[in-house]
Amino acid sequence: MAIVEVSGLRKEYPSFTLRDVSFALERGRITGFIGRNGAGKTTTIKSMLNLVHPDGGEISFFGAPLAGREGEVKQRVGYSTGTVSWYPRKKIKDIVSIVRQFYDSWDEEAYRRYLDLFDLDESKTPRELSAGMKVKFNLLLALSHGAEILILDEPTSGLDPFSRDELLAVFTELKREGVAVFFSTHVTSDLEKCADDIVYISHGQIRAALPKADFTARYAQAGESLEDTILRLERGVQNA
Amino acid sequence: MRDILRKELKLSASPLAYFFILFGLMFFLPGYPVLCGAFFVTLGLYQSFQYAREANDIEFSALLPVAKQDVVKGKFMFVCLIEGCSLLLMLVAVLLRMTLLADAPVYRTNALMNANLFALAGALLIFGLFNLIFLGGFFKTAYNMGRPFIVFIIVVFLLIFALEALHHIPGLEAVNAFGFDRFGLQLALLLIGLAAFLVLTLLSYRAACRRFEKIDL
Repeated sequence: MAIVEVSGLRKEYPSFTLRDVSFALERGRITGFIGRNGAGKTTTIKSMLNLVHPDGGEISFFGAPLAGREGEVKQRVGYSTGTVSWYPRKKIKDIVSIVRQFYDSWDEEAYRRYLDLFDLDESKTPRELSAGMKVKFNLLLALSHGAEILILDEPTSGLDPFSRDELLAVFTELKREGVAVFFSTHVTSDLEKCADDIVYISHGQIRAALPKADFTARYAQAGESLEDTILRLERGVQNA
Repeated sequence: MRDILRKELKLSASPLAYFFILFGLMFFLPGYPVLCGAFFVTLGLYQSFQYAREANDIEFSALLPVAKQDVVKGKFMFVCLIEGCSLLLMLVAVLLRMTLLADAPVYRTNALMNANLFALAGALLIFGLFNLIFLGGFFKTAYNMGRPFIVFIIVVFLLIFALEALHHIPGLEAVNAFGFDRFGLQLALLLIGLAAFLVLTLLSYRAACRRFEKIDL
């Protein structure tokens, strides 16, 4: 059963339009949201979190619309946005001491575990962190309150190959615990390694939203890797 | 609600916002337009909003498990708290100038406005206008703050000029009363100032909630 449903989402900007974006996320599945830069991934994700005000469409979490239930829904959702630096001059431990107060289900044990896994030093400030470590700090906040859904905007961006592998292993572990993981990326190898489902977006429109095996069966040609398939589809959209 | 205020105080606020509360003590200065003290308090708040913007504070707050209007509420609570602290300092100065220092020559010969209850009402009006013009204007974009602050500066200095000039107009000398002279009038003016502050802040808060709900972060 879907725990997140995005239906007919529409957002118009002067030079870009997100059109009729629809997909669903299920418990215990990892969904990769792939598309090139500027395809509409971040706008979609921000709309899902009510950071961007859509011009149309519906978004529901846990079977009910997001509107009017933001606080309750965000308690159960973990969100991370790439390399954005929050409060660059405050110590990580000071930021966390405030954030934890907001969550009924803050998991101190999980926080310590991920702090250790990501090799983050609590006494550092975000401005002292490299781009990759900033991503890890944002992930740390998303992973430490027992979220049932993780919505992650380019979580592997800027990570070294070892950290990338560790993070994808974390996704797999969370999936076993029944967490739905939804992450945007433009790196196809991330999808190959851990995704169960693929949502492919191009020029503001969803071109495919289905299990990875079905995606390959429907779109891949003989001998093609997932990357080759997506590149070919993208070229086709551009030439259309 | 306590959590969002704690976040404002510990993460979002610039140390300058706290330091500039002390400008409330300008109510002790003779021969100086005391209401400028209230303006300097708002200058500290403006600096604090800039500091918060550099820290991506609004987007961070909107991602916390709170409704979007709680982000607005947190900002208003923080601003009102800082204003309230400076008003307390001003009140101390006013009470001392009404009692122990009532006959101090340095205040009696002051050509400028006396720091009495009417001056306190003026400070409340300045804070109310800051909340209306700056805070309300900021939440149109949750980013641009230069234009609303410039509009506020123009309005506030016209207001300070008008309030300073008031007691020089024949028949209005009473607004500059010393000690407990014309206490009833002074108290009434203070209550009007308080009512203006509350109305302006409430109007601004409602507009800010409405605007913030619609903008894209």
